[in-house]
Amino acid sequence: MAYTPQFYPGSTSVGINRRKHMSGNVEKLRDIPEADVVAIMGHRAPGADYSSTHPPLKEMGEPDCPIRQAVEPTPGAAAGDRVRYSQWTDSMYFAPSIPYFRSYWGAINCKGCDPGTLSGRQIIEARERDIEKYTKTQYDSEMTDVALCSMRGCTVHGHSLRLEENGMQFDMLARTELGNDGNVLGVKDQVGIPLDKKVNLGKPMSEAEAKKRTTIFRFDGVPMSGTVGARKPDEAVEMTHHMWELRTKWGYRPE
Amino acid sequence: MVTASDTESIQVEILPQRYLMPATAQKLLNAIYENGGITRIMIHGPNLPRSVPYGPAKGTPIDENRDLIIEVGGQAFELGVKVGRVRLELESEKYLPGLRAACERALPFTFQIKQGKFFHNRPTISDYAKYGNVEDKRILGLIDPKARKDKLAILSEEKVTIEDEER
Repeated sequence: MAYTPQFYPGSTSVGINRRKHMSGNVEKLRDIPEADVVAIMGHRAPGADYSSTHPPLKEMGEPDCPIRQAVEPTPGAAAGDRVRYSQWTDSMYFAPSIPYFRSYWGAINCKGCDPGTLSGRQIIEARERDIEKYTKTQYDSEMTDVALCSMRGCTVHGHSLRLEENGMQFDMLARTELGNDGNVLGVKDQVGIPLDKKVNLGKPMSEAEAKKRTTIFRFDGVPMSGTVGARKPDEAVEMTHHMWELRTKWGYRPE
Repeated sequence: MVTASDTESIQVEILPQRYLMPATAQKLLNAIYENGGITRIMIHGPNLPRSVPYGPAKGTPIDENRDLIIEVGGQAFELGVKVGRVRLELESEKYLPGLRAACERALPFTFQIKQGKFFHNRPTISDYAKYGNVEDKRILGLIDPKARKDKLAILSEEKVTIEDEER
């Protein structure tokens, strides 16, 4: 029987969504053209050549190494691309993903990437053509709600603030806007440089939809330990206590 | 038993559930103004810079944050922040029910009104360093002591004074 990896515990909708994100088995909700994703990332003009840090691996002549023979390089590494980044900010008001689960998703499902987790933002670094593919996957999937999540290379502090009146995450640099037709438009790249043309990112999720897809335990959504008066800790709490105990008492080595 | 006097001024904070767009902020502030009894009022929220302050796009103008002009009580002034909370001092508690009704009229979503102490009444060292001896004590607590420069728009009966340079 083939082995199926098991991810996060818990039977709540949040636990189930966290498992989905970690396993990479996420639903595709929209299809944003690759050129638009490249424009929002802002590292190169859509259609321009990739800048490189070394010649393609085939031309370099690699040393005789069993690891290099066993591991197939990613397209970006094979071509010698520069390492680039994409950084996400997810609102605490029921954004579908959160920094830790974007990082789990990246570390488990994306080859040759370096995820970095911070309190309000999550960055993934990888070779340029790889990171473009990973970013597009995140944009197109249920990991992203275009109103509550946005790509921000700097000035990320909207994640912890109340939402704007129209339901968008606050952004000091106004990188996204809600159009008259209800679609969210990307008007600037990650760092705040205006785009040549506005990018249509599609409709945002409704509040109920965002609450259904979120990976955030919240007292006014799915609380981690049940509601006051009816405490019922999720299995995730037990698991966290177990991990904490193993780590603290025996450094993960119970023998 | 001591009965609290109903003629003493009270300080309240209005906390809307969401950040207000300029049009809603104008509606709310006008509704508060019409209710009357205001000794002083302060709007608070995240800064809206006129240009990108740092990063690779430093200096790029942010057109969305320019010309956010609202008119309150017949005077126009430019918003420098996204309105997230309004703190005010009322002459007495009798204006509080009217204030609550004004918020209900102006805000399309829920809000909280807290009563407490929100403005300090003695100058801090920062106040002294910036303004010296403050003659009009109503100014105390109206601006962020950590702000790098004076960001203060005073609406008085005569004129609007805005001390805020572009950055």
